[in-house]
Amino acid sequence: MKKLDVRLLRMIKNSKGQFISISVMVILALTIYVSFSMVADNLYNTIYNYYDITNFGDVFVEVVRIPKAAIDHLYTIEGIEEAQGRISSDVPLRVADPNEKVRVRVVSLPKESGGINSIYTIYGGEIQEHGKTTAVLQQFFDARGMRLGDKITPYIAGREYPLDIVGVIGSPEYIYLMENEQSLLPAPEKFGVIYVTEDFAQSVFGFQGSYNEVTIKIKDEYLHDIDRIIEDIEEQLDRYGVRRSIKREDHLSHSMLMQEVDSLEVMSTAITLLFLIVAAVIINIMLSRIVKNDRMSIGVMKALGYNNFSILAHYTKFSLLIGLVGSIIGIILSIPLSGAFTNLYIYYFNIPMFEMQVYYIYIVYGILLTSIFCIISGLIGARSVLRILPADSMRPEAPKTGGRIWLEKIKPIWNRISFSWKMVIRNILRNKKRAAFLMLGIALTYGITMVPIFMSSVWGNMFMLHYGEFQTMEYNIDFTKPMNTNVIRELQQLIDVDYIEPKTEIPFELVNGWRKKVVSVIGVPKDTQFYNFTTPTGFRIDIPNSGVILAEGLANILGADIGDEILVKNFMPDIDDKYVEVKGITQQYLGINAYMNQEELNKLMEERGMVTGALLNSKDEVATKLRDIKNIGQVQSVTDMKNSFLEFMDTIIYSMGVMMLFGGILGFAIVYNVTVISISERIMEFSSLRVLGFDKKEIYKMVTRENALITFLGITIGIPLGYGLCVSMVQGLSTELYSIPVIINPNTYAITAISTIFFVIVAQLATMRKIYKLNLLDALKSRMS
Amino acid sequence: MLKNDVLIKVDNVSKLYQMGEVTVAALKEVSLDIYQGEFIVILGPSGSGKSTLLNILGGMDLPSEGKVFMEDEDITNYNDKKLTVYRREKVGFVFQFYNLMANLTARENVELATEICKNALNIDDVLGAVGLSDRKDHFPAQLSGGEQQRVAIARAVAKNPYLLLCDEPTGALDFQTGIKILSLLKKINQDFKKTVVIITHNMPIGEMADRVIKVRSGEIIEMKVNDSPIPPERIEW
Ligand SMILES: Nc1ncnc2c1ncn2[C@@H]1O[C@H](COP(=O)(O)OP(=O)(O)O)[C@@H](O)[C@H]1O
Ligand SMILES: [Mg+2]
Repeated sequence: MKKLDVRLLRMIKNSKGQFISISVMVILALTIYVSFSMVADNLYNTIYNYYDITNFGDVFVEVVRIPKAAIDHLYTIEGIEEAQGRISSDVPLRVADPNEKVRVRVVSLPKESGGINSIYTIYGGEIQEHGKTTAVLQQFFDARGMRLGDKITPYIAGREYPLDIVGVIGSPEYIYLMENEQSLLPAPEKFGVIYVTEDFAQSVFGFQGSYNEVTIKIKDEYLHDIDRIIEDIEEQLDRYGVRRSIKREDHLSHSMLMQEVDSLEVMSTAITLLFLIVAAVIINIMLSRIVKNDRMSIGVMKALGYNNFSILAHYTKFSLLIGLVGSIIGIILSIPLSGAFTNLYIYYFNIPMFEMQVYYIYIVYGILLTSIFCIISGLIGARSVLRILPADSMRPEAPKTGGRIWLEKIKPIWNRISFSWKMVIRNILRNKKRAAFLMLGIALTYGITMVPIFMSSVWGNMFMLHYGEFQTMEYNIDFTKPMNTNVIRELQQLIDVDYIEPKTEIPFELVNGWRKKVVSVIGVPKDTQFYNFTTPTGFRIDIPNSGVILAEGLANILGADIGDEILVKNFMPDIDDKYVEVKGITQQYLGINAYMNQEELNKLMEERGMVTGALLNSKDEVATKLRDIKNIGQVQSVTDMKNSFLEFMDTIIYSMGVMMLFGGILGFAIVYNVTVISISERIMEFSSLRVLGFDKKEIYKMVTRENALITFLGITIGIPLGYGLCVSMVQGLSTELYSIPVIINPNTYAITAISTIFFVIVAQLATMRKIYKLNLLDALKSRMS
Repeated sequence: MLKNDVLIKVDNVSKLYQMGEVTVAALKEVSLDIYQGEFIVILGPSGSGKSTLLNILGGMDLPSEGKVFMEDEDITNYNDKKLTVYRREKVGFVFQFYNLMANLTARENVELATEICKNALNIDDVLGAVGLSDRKDHFPAQLSGGEQQRVAIARAVAKNPYLLLCDEPTGALDFQTGIKILSLLKKINQDFKKTVVIITHNMPIGEMADRVIKVRSGEIIEMKVNDSPIPPERIEW
């Protein structure tokens, strides 16, 4: 082996802690990148394969009522491959606990098997034409602990219909099971989907010979023209009362799934880059310090006739080896991990099939990425090799000037400082560069550690803000159909209410120029006690007499600003669409809605005094008492929401844990490396102090004090840095459905500080050995290169 | 001695250092011929420009003015690449503080130098010649100063250079050890037929040289051929 390589290997052996800690980051970066890229691809493939097998539709149209003939007529539109009618309606489900509100979507299956959105039987059999049987969506079935042969009892149009569960199925439409766009979190034990025969559905819902939904498959070669086809469909079906038409990309389950997979990719790329960047920064710092301390050796190499390239390569190989070790171990880990994670996701998403492939291209990309990072950071770190002259090997380093530091001139302060602290401060100020670099390392650690700690409190904050400040009602009741205001009085007779408000909630499509979005517009009384609208800067907004208040997220989607007129398109066949002025933009962290004065909203529907639900506070048994009351659709209590939120938190606790772990690894790696570098550079200095008669304890105490002071300063800088990182994290994570509030609890700052200090202590303990092993002779042999 | 055989010709060399406002002249129009196989001692007080001269001879530094010829080739015209080859093939350095690589053994330190040379000598022979056959697997930290300097000499000699340049080779050593190193250098000069240039501020060392060159403030003030150099063992200071 080349002697320079021997030297390199021994150099690595001497700094194995650093080598390992940086390699771990590279390993993690590569493993995360390769395995999650593969997971994402495998998920896409599995999902699309599932769609193919079940013939997932391209367009879904909800109508008031449509006869079979009208559906058949759709084939006259060019590009339509298949169109199918079905009945789909949400009804309450009778369950043992009268306080529990469970709803199911009853969906009819066509007589012939196959067709669009065909169900995928996981176990059990098919539903029978005669006899009351049903097939239940697996997530719901599992969440409620059902068994084949159990009876479930939907409550349809005032009657109970006990049905035998004969099958457990999966559906491409409900891979991601949520009731509607307004449900913020999946709650599979509160909402499910059950499939029944067409005959049964038509008879119980009163839809003989007709349907309320059309599913449509478009020929592949016409898919690019889908918007035109949808327009044609809407036009043709207009007289059947098109409530809304959705294309696949806007389909709730599909779009949530795609969002999940996309965010998986985004997150894994972001984490990979973060790890690589931090690794590159540490490599860069480490090599530049090594080169600086090796100045004389480099001079000798040059004097011996080594050229710049060989010397530069000698040091760059350090980082290249890190990249190599990281890549090899990363690849070995990532293949089984990608399989395990794909499996986990598929299980989590309830997809009853599994496609797993190894995509070697990601391994190639991953290796390229890590090598490029390592080589570049190595070259940048070692580049000062070029500036070292061979004659430098002869010339000893100029002694550091030990002049007075500026603080000494401020006598009133300086005189108060004890001798040992004076020494600490002198050391720091005389080596500003080294102190600054340790300080920045600690600041960076603080910032990076803060993000996951902050993220773990985000959901709780968001929930508290939404249900504690933005909307404060205890119950949110929806009627099965629009009612007259009198219903509020009737409700008050049924239950003991502390306070009640009517609400009108109607879906509209809001259009601003070319931008549009379907949302629920909520009408509330002008003096609503339950909603607190505030501008993003925190000022209160009152419900205007006319005009609409948009949630901030909605305003962004629509590109609408205060004063803009937006078109409010209703889904009723005979009512004209109207323009409404935007009067305010409110903060809303969960969901996106628009809010109006209730009477104004009614005018849009050409109605007066219409209510679709009620908001109320009550200590009564609201759910139980309203259970069998006619026209009561859904009773949602904040407690229910809280419970499903807690359940949701359970599912994300692991990813939070993983994020914290990653933050911790990064943080520790930074602090460890900067501390080790800064202490090993000073071994000579410490040896000299030993020669002067300091004992090991005194030196250790001095170093500890220096580090404590620098840690304190580093954390001070780290606080704004962490804040900035949290803000950008939040911007990256906010989606259409929720925007994350940047509220950083004092706890977050404190816990981050404690973790950072912990890392510093551990890193220092690791270097303590070096100080205790100090050899007095090293000071005397200090000229050895 | 083959007086006519000039190995290196230094012609009117000056070296100026710009230190802010002031210009320091480390060498002022120095001219000098070094002959094949000579043992030269350059004497002068600290700061007189000895190292600067040695560095220029060794291709580690370029003069501000003047020329240096090595076997009729002007090395001051060399680019970086050619200078590197020059250092690699033609000269060997011995430093005051030995400057061994701490994490390479004695033998590996020598190999580090030879593995890039074309005409390297047998490493074990050279290590034997400097009397370190049984210490060759030791690391520098396990060797005494004199032993380290012997490794450094072996490292310089094993390259089989034309010229051995030693900058204060005994400067960090005690008297006894210093004498041993000087004897070794003399032996190398005789047995391996190498031209040796030693710089020192230590006057008595001049007595062992074929020629003594005294410098002061960047100028050669005296050049004396020593007709009867004494063996290093008889030097006293
Ligand atoms: N790189 C440099 N920059 C500035 N001045 C230098 C440099 N190298 C040497 N000198 C100056 O040149 C003069 C000669 O130095 P040097 O050749 O090292 O002397 P010697 O080896 O005889 O002690 C000294 O005054 C020294 O300060
Ligand atoms: Mg000198």
